[in-house]
Amino acid sequence: MSDQPFWAQEDHPKRPLRVENGVQIHSTRGTVARTWWSKRFLAVLEDLGVGGRLARGRTYARSGQIVSCELDAGSVVALVQGTRPTPYKVRIGIPAWGKEEWGKAEQALADDAWYAAALLAGGMPTEIEGLFARVGLALFPAARRDLTMDCTCPDATVPCKHLAAVFYLLAERFDADPFEVLALRGRDREALLANLRRRRGSAAAPEPEADLPVTPLGELLDSFYEGPAADLSRFAPATPAPGALLDQVPELPIAVRRRTVRELLRSAYAELAKEG
Amino acid sequence: MLVVHAFWSPGRGPVLWAEDGERPATTSRRSLRSARPHPFAVPASQLAGIHPGKQTSVTLLLPSRASGPVESPELVRAAPGGRRSGQVSLQPWSVPAVVVDPAELGDPAEDVRYGRSVAHLRTLVEFADDLAGRGRVLPTLRPGPEARWRPVVQGLDAVARRALVDAVPPVGRAEQRRAGDVLGHGPDQVVDAALAVLVDAAVRERLARADEPVVLVPPRSGRAPRSLPATEAWLAALGGPDARFEATDRELATLAEALDPWDAVTTEETGPARATFRLREVDTLHDPADPGDDPLDQTGDGTRWVLEFQLQSTEDPSLVVPADDVWSGRADRLITSAQELLLAELGRAALVYPGLTTALRQARPEELDLEVEDTHRFLTEDAARLLAAGFGVQLPAGWNGRKPLGLKLSVSSPGAPGVVTRGGLGREELARFRWTMAAGEDELDEEEIAALVAAKARLVRIRGQWVSVDQEALARGLEFLKRQNARRAPTVAETLAVAQGALDTPLPVTAVTAEGWVGDLLRGTADRTLEPLEPPASFRATLRPYQKRGLSWLSFLANLGLGACLADDMGLGKTVQLLALEAREREGHELGPTLILCPMSLVGTWQREAARFAPDLRVHAHHGPTRERGETLRERLQHTDIVVTTYGTAARDIEDLASYAWHRLVLDEAQAIKNANAAPSKAARRISAGHRIALTGTPMENRLAELWSVMDFLNPGVLGTPERFRQRFAVPIERHGNPEAAETLRAITRPYLLRRLKTDPTVIDDLPEKIEIRQEYRLTREQASLYRTIVDDMMEKIEDSQGIQRRGNVLAAMAKLKQVCNHPAQLLHDGSPIGKRSGKVARLEELLGEILAEGDKVLLFSQFVEFASMLVPHLSARFDQEVLHLHGGTPKKQRDAMVERFQSADGPAIFLLSLKAGGTGLTLTAANHVVHLDRWWNPAVEDQATDRAFRIGQQRNVQVRKFVCPGTVEERIDALIESKKALSDMVISDGEGWLTELSTGELRSVFALGAEAVGDE
Repeated sequence: MSDQPFWAQEDHPKRPLRVENGVQIHSTRGTVARTWWSKRFLAVLEDLGVGGRLARGRTYARSGQIVSCELDAGSVVALVQGTRPTPYKVRIGIPAWGKEEWGKAEQALADDAWYAAALLAGGMPTEIEGLFARVGLALFPAARRDLTMDCTCPDATVPCKHLAAVFYLLAERFDADPFEVLALRGRDREALLANLRRRRGSAAAPEPEADLPVTPLGELLDSFYEGPAADLSRFAPATPAPGALLDQVPELPIAVRRRTVRELLRSAYAELAKEG
Repeated sequence: MLVVHAFWSPGRGPVLWAEDGERPATTSRRSLRSARPHPFAVPASQLAGIHPGKQTSVTLLLPSRASGPVESPELVRAAPGGRRSGQVSLQPWSVPAVVVDPAELGDPAEDVRYGRSVAHLRTLVEFADDLAGRGRVLPTLRPGPEARWRPVVQGLDAVARRALVDAVPPVGRAEQRRAGDVLGHGPDQVVDAALAVLVDAAVRERLARADEPVVLVPPRSGRAPRSLPATEAWLAALGGPDARFEATDRELATLAEALDPWDAVTTEETGPARATFRLREVDTLHDPADPGDDPLDQTGDGTRWVLEFQLQSTEDPSLVVPADDVWSGRADRLITSAQELLLAELGRAALVYPGLTTALRQARPEELDLEVEDTHRFLTEDAARLLAAGFGVQLPAGWNGRKPLGLKLSVSSPGAPGVVTRGGLGREELARFRWTMAAGEDELDEEEIAALVAAKARLVRIRGQWVSVDQEALARGLEFLKRQNARRAPTVAETLAVAQGALDTPLPVTAVTAEGWVGDLLRGTADRTLEPLEPPASFRATLRPYQKRGLSWLSFLANLGLGACLADDMGLGKTVQLLALEAREREGHELGPTLILCPMSLVGTWQREAARFAPDLRVHAHHGPTRERGETLRERLQHTDIVVTTYGTAARDIEDLASYAWHRLVLDEAQAIKNANAAPSKAARRISAGHRIALTGTPMENRLAELWSVMDFLNPGVLGTPERFRQRFAVPIERHGNPEAAETLRAITRPYLLRRLKTDPTVIDDLPEKIEIRQEYRLTREQASLYRTIVDDMMEKIEDSQGIQRRGNVLAAMAKLKQVCNHPAQLLHDGSPIGKRSGKVARLEELLGEILAEGDKVLLFSQFVEFASMLVPHLSARFDQEVLHLHGGTPKKQRDAMVERFQSADGPAIFLLSLKAGGTGLTLTAANHVVHLDRWWNPAVEDQATDRAFRIGQQRNVQVRKFVCPGTVEERIDALIESKKALSDMVISDGEGWLTELSTGELRSVFALGAEAVGDE
């Protein structure tokens, strides 16, 4: 194999084998590392000259070549289908913290509800790095040596395209759920929330109820043409200022003639509020 | 009769299909493996004639027996078959259907019943429009490429969506997704697919009806390129009617990426609870004996502001748990994962209200401390943002954001209340009035106003209430006081306008107090405090006490120059009160004529009642082809007190009528002008009159468009423009059930509206227990021409026959004439549709509409089973409810079951009975209305039938109506019966045999069709 990195190679001589039911990629579009925390996690790869161009691994991940991907304390293990019949085994390792280290971190998180609130609302305050630092922990890898990367493929380049694809997938999972960053360090969402709860001095949470499955039509023969009247007036939200929602969503990186999309849409929202 | 059902087909949209009670109930096809054709489904072409759309065929999973689908409960078969038995199971049926535009759902056809599934889709359309109107939408990119608006369902909207999902009737998701499927679409899937399409459509519709076109793409300088950049094309497609646009794949990928953060805005439910924020003023707990400073005191009197965090269950909004209980774990039994939920909600709220963050920097955040300035900002800005984002906000008792610092008007009327004198009181000034500054209802004294002016903070406590102070508005308010108190007193009309918020003031008017009769008027109690007036001596009826009060109320408003709406329940005598008013005003005074507009069927009633009660009034009916016009009419009006005409004639003769200055314009059955743009409304508004009165028996509270139209006719401008009215009242009340808007609307209309109910004890004591009413109607042209043919034909036969044959012919003629008065189809036996061919049925529908609107029940008697059988499906479709039908062929067991169901409180409200089968033995006291659709010329038989309702156990007054068309055999024989002399020797114990004894000449005059029998509209 060439000693050039995979993205610099010319057309690959062989096409990889197709995979049935590969890992579902959440979206078929979007940047790698949309959020600051997944960017921060991948920053270490910049040093290797791959971070910025990691997006190239997307093609591989998007074509569904990742057969499985398990994120666990300290490691991400994935099977990636290449040109050979047996999928390659990819492993990314990062030190998971022990009970004692997590104990300190959890206490710090429990003492400041802001972090849990932000995490549960789908975000992660940048200050969280400082919080871990104060208990002597680095949340994100700082250097190449903080990560181990293995792939069973014959390509000597590290990271190879299989690793790159898994990094892509990982970044996407971090974007969607910041709890995954912490899970990689040894505390998954459930365990972390339960521990925080305990450290706040509260009893364990009861099991949540599962969603109700769809009732088969055959079980509804007696009331087939009936249904409760849905009285919407019971749920009368306040009438907000026109375009209140527009103010809550983040600014988009697109503009027309230097006017942002948000600005351009405002007249439409004002019009919506008018009663004809 | 048809019953229309609907479902949302993901990918296709709203799909309608219908059952037809005329088609066979069963199929002979036995194949169970594939879908069989539905035996009584309406062909798509026929359905598309009612609801236009794309014709198609769908496979539906329906409850079925071996022989065919089980009928929906709404379906009524004209000829009911026996009860079918057998195992019910789910089977696929191939059903013709029509894919329609969502707007079709809101446009129901007459004579068709709509199932629950249609109502559910309508609710979805409303919800989608509501989301669009509140801006709970975000633009997105869909494959195609298409620019689409998608719903953002959060907070209470998520609860509403949940309710909509739970309310999907099984038939609303009965479309078979693929062969062998027995599950149907999931209700979530159906609702979400519908909302996605409906919200996009609702947004585009709202944008399309903008006064000026909405332009989302900024204008470019210079020439446009051949193909627009993707972002511009996308924006243009969002604002236009077509969602599709063109762009290269690369551009699309970039755009899609850029839109990611907006697509990530959740449409998920936030959970079984939401955060609510409660603003509270709490004691600082500083010991008053301690001379040291109280660092917590923000308000200057030992209190401070805090914003408390709570969780409120979305399923049971009365369940509110303080944060304290959440952290202690006490809330866990009530709300799933309460702690994580509260944290997530606080995290989300902090994005909208960043000030919240400081409170979260601790282990168990329970509240946020607020400085006075923070509090002011919270009340004026942050609270609204939190509400808009789906959070709850509770403000302290006594704080009402809508009643801040304001103005108060106190007026008192001169003279003793209740004394109404003649002569333009309304144009006179009120004796005493005073404008003051007020906090809500409370007047402020000089000292307090001085304190306000000196205040530095934007929140000032006055009399225990916090008042938001805007120094600039305050200064303008004080200036206003100076000006107003120096000018003359306002008139009654001005006072009413101020009380109703119509006056432009620098500060809101927060209170109006009025003493004396002005106060009575504002409170709507004028009729009770006015001195009851007596009609003039020449008036030939004794008014009941409530009618005297009505008379003085009408007279009072007339003197004030205010339009009045008398909306007494049907049967309480609105006509006689109006006649008494006219008679009283005209006694000894020469006044111009009063014009009364009414439906055709009531012209005769007005003439007759006026002749009976107020024979001194000169009444002229202006209608019919020979009516006077122009100068002749003008001449006539010189010697006339009251002119009665129909809405239709008024619209046609508007040029004549509008050129005259009338003393008064009266609209009877004023709901006729409910559509402000229709010809009768426009005509009524063009006619100038010194005073206006509307009479209506229907409760208008629930028909806001009608209320606006009638009120605007009476007192132009009183409820503002239609647009303003819709925004201020119709939408908040009808869409959101807003009680404050409803109360404001009641307060505004109260002075002009007098409505007494039959059930009101002060009214009921006055009444006899059985009220007999002659219900007039007019024949349609088709009925009239059939009627004439029968008379000509039968008179010939009668003349040529003798003895028993003549008797037979007379009775046959009688029966045919009665049939044609009922409905042409009953005479022709052609099974043709009911349509609008019978004046009697049309009048019956109006009557039933009023009866049902009041929640009453009614017995309808007919001697013709065929007529009753025609009416059952028609009425059940027209009023969308079950109609009971009892006739000679009804088995005893079924009869008892019908009676029992009718008598139960939530049972059917309309009961059709055959005069012979239902006339005796039954107890039907749940009804307080009895209607005799056709006449059995024997009062004893009719009375017996009436007594089904009017008997022991009846708690209410019973109104008995007998349908009579003037100028027909119905009226002639009614007149014969009514004259006691004729009655004594004519009434024979059974039947109509006495008719056969009349001479041919007498018969001819009894049968002949008079000109007044035919309606002109």
